[in-house]
Amino acid sequence: MTKATPQAGRPAAGQQGFHLGADIAAPSGNYRWVKLWGWPIRLMHWLAVGTMVALVVTGLYIGKPYFMAGGDTRDHFLMGWMRFIHFAAAAIFATTAIWRIYWLFAGNRFERLPALFPIRPRDWVNMVKQVKFYAMIEPEKAPHYLGHNPLQQLSYTGVYFLAMVMIVSGFALYGQSDPSGFFYKAFNWVGIVMGGMPVVRFVHHVLTWAFLIFIPMHIYLAVRADVLERGGVISSIFTGGRFVPAKHHFVDGEDLNE
Amino acid sequence: MSFLNPLADESLDERLARQGVSRREFMEYCSALCVVLGVGKKFAPTMAKALQTPQRPPVIWLQLQECTGCVESVLRTAEPTVGDLVLDVISLDYSHALMAGAGHAVEKALHDSMTANAGKYVLLVTGSVPLAENGVYTVIGGRTAKDILEEAGKGAAAVIAVGACAHFGSVQAARPNPTGAVGVADIIKDKPVVNIAGCPPIGDVVTATVVHFLTFGRLPDVDPVGRPLFAYGARIHDQCPRRANFDAGQFVEKFDDEAARKGWCLYHVGCKGPATFSPCPIFQWNTRTSWPIGAGHPCIGCTEPHFWDTMTPFYGRLPDVGGFGIEERVDVLGAALAIGATAGVVAHAAATGVHQMREKNRQLPVVDGPSQGGTPNK
Amino acid sequence: MAATKVVVDPITRIEGHLRIEVQSENGKITDSWASSTQFRGIETIMKDRDPRDAWAFVQRICGVCTVVHAVASCRAVEDALDIRIPPNANIIRNLIHGMQFIQDHVIHFYHLHALDWVDVVSALKADPAGTSRLAKSLSPWPNNSETYFAEVQNRVKKFVASGQLGIFTNGYWGHPAYKLPPEANLMAVAHYLEALDWQRDIIRLHAIFGGKNPHPNFLVGGMASAINLNDTATINAERLTDIRDMITRAQRFVEQVYWTDLVAIAGFYKDWAAIGGGVKNHLCYGEFPEGDIRDLDKLYFPRGIIYDNDLTKVHDFDPAKVQEFINTSWYEYSTGPESGLHPFDGETTPKYTGPATPWTYLMGEPKYTWMKAPRYEGKPMQVGPLSRLLVAYGKGHEEVREMVGGVMSALNVGPSALFSTLGRTAARGMETVLLARRMNKWYDDLVNRIKNGDTQTFNQEKWDPSKWPAGESKGFGFLDAPRGALGHWVKIKDGKITNYQCVVPSTWNCSPRDGQGQQGAYEASLVDNHPLVNPEQPLEILRTIHSFDPCMSCGVH
Ligand code: HEM
Ligand code: HEM
Ligand code: NFV
Ligand code: SF4
Ligand code: SF4
Ligand code: F3S
Ligand SMILES: [Mg+2]
Repeated sequence: MTKATPQAGRPAAGQQGFHLGADIAAPSGNYRWVKLWGWPIRLMHWLAVGTMVALVVTGLYIGKPYFMAGGDTRDHFLMGWMRFIHFAAAAIFATTAIWRIYWLFAGNRFERLPALFPIRPRDWVNMVKQVKFYAMIEPEKAPHYLGHNPLQQLSYTGVYFLAMVMIVSGFALYGQSDPSGFFYKAFNWVGIVMGGMPVVRFVHHVLTWAFLIFIPMHIYLAVRADVLERGGVISSIFTGGRFVPAKHHFVDGEDLNE
Repeated sequence: MSFLNPLADESLDERLARQGVSRREFMEYCSALCVVLGVGKKFAPTMAKALQTPQRPPVIWLQLQECTGCVESVLRTAEPTVGDLVLDVISLDYSHALMAGAGHAVEKALHDSMTANAGKYVLLVTGSVPLAENGVYTVIGGRTAKDILEEAGKGAAAVIAVGACAHFGSVQAARPNPTGAVGVADIIKDKPVVNIAGCPPIGDVVTATVVHFLTFGRLPDVDPVGRPLFAYGARIHDQCPRRANFDAGQFVEKFDDEAARKGWCLYHVGCKGPATFSPCPIFQWNTRTSWPIGAGHPCIGCTEPHFWDTMTPFYGRLPDVGGFGIEERVDVLGAALAIGATAGVVAHAAATGVHQMREKNRQLPVVDGPSQGGTPNK
Repeated sequence: MAATKVVVDPITRIEGHLRIEVQSENGKITDSWASSTQFRGIETIMKDRDPRDAWAFVQRICGVCTVVHAVASCRAVEDALDIRIPPNANIIRNLIHGMQFIQDHVIHFYHLHALDWVDVVSALKADPAGTSRLAKSLSPWPNNSETYFAEVQNRVKKFVASGQLGIFTNGYWGHPAYKLPPEANLMAVAHYLEALDWQRDIIRLHAIFGGKNPHPNFLVGGMASAINLNDTATINAERLTDIRDMITRAQRFVEQVYWTDLVAIAGFYKDWAAIGGGVKNHLCYGEFPEGDIRDLDKLYFPRGIIYDNDLTKVHDFDPAKVQEFINTSWYEYSTGPESGLHPFDGETTPKYTGPATPWTYLMGEPKYTWMKAPRYEGKPMQVGPLSRLLVAYGKGHEEVREMVGGVMSALNVGPSALFSTLGRTAARGMETVLLARRMNKWYDDLVNRIKNGDTQTFNQEKWDPSKWPAGESKGFGFLDAPRGALGHWVKIKDGKITNYQCVVPSTWNCSPRDGQGQQGAYEASLVDNHPLVNPEQPLEILRTIHSFDPCMSCGVH
């Protein structure tokens, strides 16, 4: 019997539903299956992935219209569509962000604030070991995490921060077309803080590249973990859980370790 | 508009008749101006009355650190023309550019008007105020621009800062701002300052703002950087006749290319219309002859604060923040980093493979876990 | 009798902030100081910027001669990067610059200079019928009727009667130096008002090619206004017709109003043909290229140097011989206070050493102005319409010779009359007439090229910095502006400006003393047989200073 109610006031582990702290399967052979991500996180992740791809593609076109429509103006709406898709995707993207913020407080312990931001001293200590792990120096000494390891925490923190800046700067840009409208009034401070709308646009543009740098590394690390650990890390973001070696000691899974 | 002569001994109708203008035409003029000001035609009679006070309202026009482009712009106004304005509507008691006398004679005229009209005059200011080195970078009649502005500001009923210099220092405040130039609102803080933005602004916006004050006794409503909403309430990009080309995806890629000869959108060659609030496409320039984009040149954003630094390079699509905007250096750098990251990922994957092979002794356990959905946590 | 110290500050009806100090004795000026009292530092601001942006920055040096710095800048950058602009672009620039001359000179005459010669108050005493007769005898201009002048007079009368004199407050009305009869004064006042309306009409040409005036748009490598007769958003047939009509109206006003007024007024002030000559060396870079700018033989106004008012010999100009000194200006040089620097290596490091404000006198201060002191071969030079005319005359320019000859005989004066306050004012009028005529030729050239299928306005070849020369490149952009010889010197490295220097017409003319004590043109003219009857009413100083059409923002920048 495994104690699996890490947070007081939470429903007891073992019950289905996204309020569970963590569903940890009983050991079976060398592996056990651990439930990590509730469906809201998974949905959010894939919505974010989809909209972000759309945002990057359309955003880069908006920034530099690299192909053109010839002929009569009335027959085309190329930039119009690009912007429409950008704004529609932006709306979904922003919604997922709001959702994620809520879920920082409502999610399970792998989804909550402390699991996403390296705010505990132990995370910083472990981060060094984690860096060594990826540098393939003493990889065996790397700490095991069920959820995000500190390096992942940091990079996700970074990505969420980026996303916030994109959203805020995006809506500030969006508001410009109607100075009496809601978005102008709600986001006009952004221009003042950043030093003018041109700077806002610059920031919005530059950070697009930050995403394009994050994405390949992120996908790689997920795949790598999957291959090395054979635990189904990738499928975790589809199914919500993964297999973990039963013998490992997990930094964020004390209750799992006998 | 020579029918605006406000002399007391003549009725409005007489005066209009003498100048060959019917009362209807005059009222139409006032209605049109009311529309420009965004206050509605119902205020036309108020305006007509205000423009014909027996005493012409005193106006003092200071030129501080500037290039006189703003004065010239006001000389190009359509309605009222500057001649009508000066002879018939206002009493221009001080103007460096136009005064007949010089030296002590005009300094005295300035002083006399400020004393006689304390609390009543409209203060127009073109030019910035250099603060470095105790203000020695602009000295007029032996006194610094700051001194002169502070004194004139005290008795002003309204302060209208005309042009980018008076707004934020314009070109002389561009990096590294060697003279420490600032705008009028940085000096006059105890009363509202309205900024007629632009380098220079369209002259008609200046006269319309003056007429607004004369009509309503207060300055027009302004946006967060002090620009009157009736003129600066919308982006160029949202009023631009080339917007259809923008939406269609039709862009000038190089000056004088086929697209340029079809009048397509100038976004690709650096147009700052998407970030610029200005009435240029609507009011147009020089008695509605044309405007920058109308003549094939991208907007350089001249009504926006500090556009010399935030909107440059003018022909690039991004501002030069820290040297990265030039030639879209960020895109090159960003693409390089993204490619670098991908390459790094590939290299790391290869290294991992090698590492794995070396560590032959490390036996990977065979998964014999339960099928998915295995009873969790029983 | 001891010398009286006189300060005139501000000098009004000019561009910018100019302070004149003189000493006078027995009605004559004995010594003079010209101080330009505004500094903006635009040369230093140009550092590290994209050379293609430079025109817009330096254009803001002056909103009066609003095109000249932009064009000089484009030429400097085009020189440095070896960019050749298409002939159409060159013609368009000529049309814009030509119209700038015409408008600037007419505004100068009526709105900045006329009140030195025209007594507005005296116009109230005029008999409108007499004014009409006078005007009709001078010119076929349609607004010559008695009722017209009576209306204007009435308007001015009511204005004066209102007691609010506005810009005419404390003018030197009734000063004995005013010599025009009331009828002529009334005519000039009427044209003062007409010119206000006229100038905003004809300058619309700038809006058509450059989007606006002041500060129309330019482009390194050509012009941005594309030509396409079949589109509404480009230079098309309608736009071209509009331009032709503006040129016609410009020419008509210049010939039938400005020029006739100028000659008529000059007739009453011939004594001013012996006053205020000043610096006797003249510099003209030449202007209005009618071929590639590098083809110096094709400049409509030729380039050259005249020493000592000797018109028989026009010397070649050598750009290497230009230097700027700061002996009496508020700057410092890394090469020492006595050294002169060629503009390619020029430095702009302000260092104020004057008295604390408010000032009483600057005379007697070792340094007294923000204006640098440019010298050619170490000599102070005069620049402007007169210098241009003299160089053209000396080089045998036929139209100029004919024009000058005609005026000399009409006014019954010899050529030496040109070296004077009146000469400068007359020369300005003469070149305006010539240019108003020349505009037609440029317009026809443009239309003919379009007819023959050439609509190119921009050379794309070297727009991209990757096509620019490796290492440092240098360019000299010259131009003869309304107020005289204008040079921009630029150094470019790695796609950015490393040094930018402007030596401007008003820098030459308003130059302070140099190390040898040689005065610049304003100062020298004020001590050249110069009267000052009443130090309280320095009307004569205004006449001579205004005859240069000072522009302080230009001169110091
Ligand atoms: C990951 C998220 C996003 C990415 C990668 C992205 C990317 C971009 C890029 C590259 C541009 C062109 C910038 C330029 O050079 O001018 C752009 C423009 C823009 N983006 Fe985004 N964006 C994102 C999110 C958003 C969001 C959340 C909004 C909110 C409404 C938004 C609104 C805009 C707007 C209004 C523009 C300017 C379009 C125009 O005015 O024509 N973006 N975006
Ligand atoms: C636009 C591209 C993507 C972005 C911006 C992105 C972003 C993120 C973020 C922010 C998280 C943390 C979730 C949280 O706790 O809030 C995450 C987790 C994860 N993502 Fe992505 N993702 C992207 C694409 C992908 C793709 C294509 C895959 C699969 C190959 C993937 C696999 C995963 C996995 C397995 C996790 C959770 C496991 C872990 O902590 O390592 N992601 N992703
Ligand atoms: N001096 C001068 Fe200018 C001219 N003409 C320019 O170069 O006036 Ni503003
Ligand atoms: S705002 Fe621009 S045009 Fe107006 S005075 Fe300043 S520099 Fe000249
Ligand atoms: S030309 Fe400029 S303002 Fe007009 S639609 Fe294009 S980007 Fe917008
Ligand atoms: S540059 Fe200025 S004049 Fe208008 S079109 Fe742009 S705001
Ligand atoms: Mg200089």
